[in-house]
Amino acid sequence: MTDQQIESQASVKRWAASAGLSYDPEVQEAKLRILADFCAKVDKEPDELVAFCILRKKETGERFLSVKRRETINQWLEEFTTEQGWAAKQAVVNANVVRSFLIHNGVLIQGPVWRG
Amino acid sequence: MEFKQVVGNRRTIRFFDPNRPVEEEKIQVMLEAANRASRAVNADFAKAIVCYRDELSDEVREQMKTPTTTVQIDLAPVTIFWYGDTSFVNGAQGRLKELVDLGALPVTHGWTHGYVDDLVYPQVLEPLSKDQLAVTWAVSVETGLAIAQAMLAGVDEGLGVGLHAFNPAAVKDILKVPDHWVPMWILLVGYPAEDAKGGGQRPRRKLSDSFYRGQYGNPWTEIPEVTERLTSEGMIQEPMPADASQRMAEIKQLADRFGLPL
Repeated sequence: MTDQQIESQASVKRWAASAGLSYDPEVQEAKLRILADFCAKVDKEPDELVAFCILRKKETGERFLSVKRRETINQWLEEFTTEQGWAAKQAVVNANVVRSFLIHNGVLIQGPVWRG
Repeated sequence: MEFKQVVGNRRTIRFFDPNRPVEEEKIQVMLEAANRASRAVNADFAKAIVCYRDELSDEVREQMKTPTTTVQIDLAPVTIFWYGDTSFVNGAQGRLKELVDLGALPVTHGWTHGYVDDLVYPQVLEPLSKDQLAVTWAVSVETGLAIAQAMLAGVDEGLGVGLHAFNPAAVKDILKVPDHWVPMWILLVGYPAEDAKGGGQRPRRKLSDSFYRGQYGNPWTEIPEVTERLTSEGMIQEPMPADASQRMAEIKQLADRFGLPL
């Protein structure tokens, strides 16, 4: 996806507005690039990535966050950081860009903390 | 620190300095404060297991997390796991008689060994011990009192504290928790990486919203001079300002430091 296509997704607009990304175009561009690369890796658009984490109960139709699917995303993120060659704090920070996108779309996926 | 200042200074700290060790001496102060708490039938309701962060594997810490207890577990150098002991009735008769002998439970109030054996134990404690709801209520209240004292003692020692839920199943086997202990909370302890005052006191409703005089519906009337004194003595402090820009800037700085999502 191009940057423009990415930015047109509702989930990305929500992220940008909620996290205040638009205040710093350089930061926004860098973060969008990480998200776009991650989405390319898992072959999902940003909106699909959010939807992937949210399931509905068969009985009631009630929405809930899938634990298994969030674990899957964490596994994908681990693979992604390795493939990108990121290490140490950079690996934590960049993977948390994707988690930030998900958090601002109502999906908390807990990740590591840099304590170095 | 003065008591009112301690009460006023306490915040739920969520950003701990992960690399500043917490002295065991200070933890002992907290445990002793818990041990001095008021307790029914002089029972040891509150049980705690102190763990330094690196004694728990990354995997276990991950499993302990809940939707509301997140990275603070990774940042806090110490986790105190609090449990309530449901076997508190065991030995209650003996402990009550000890208090009778010491004069803590005075005869002027009806206390004798016979009163313990013939009335208090068979008619109050034994039935209570068989009522699961009542046991859970008693254990929760009594353990909460002890936890509160430990928490305030930690603040008095210059530490940051935060009480949170945890996933008890993840640690039961590792900590060798007995079956008759009921999980309560975890108390995270460490030196704050954030402003120890957390940007101000959290919003609180006025006393009259929750407290009454004589009967429900007759709200407690605040005495302005007392409110003023508590403010000057530090129990009542500046609330978090509606303009949260300073706090948000601090969160951004902490997020940058720890690589957290923002």
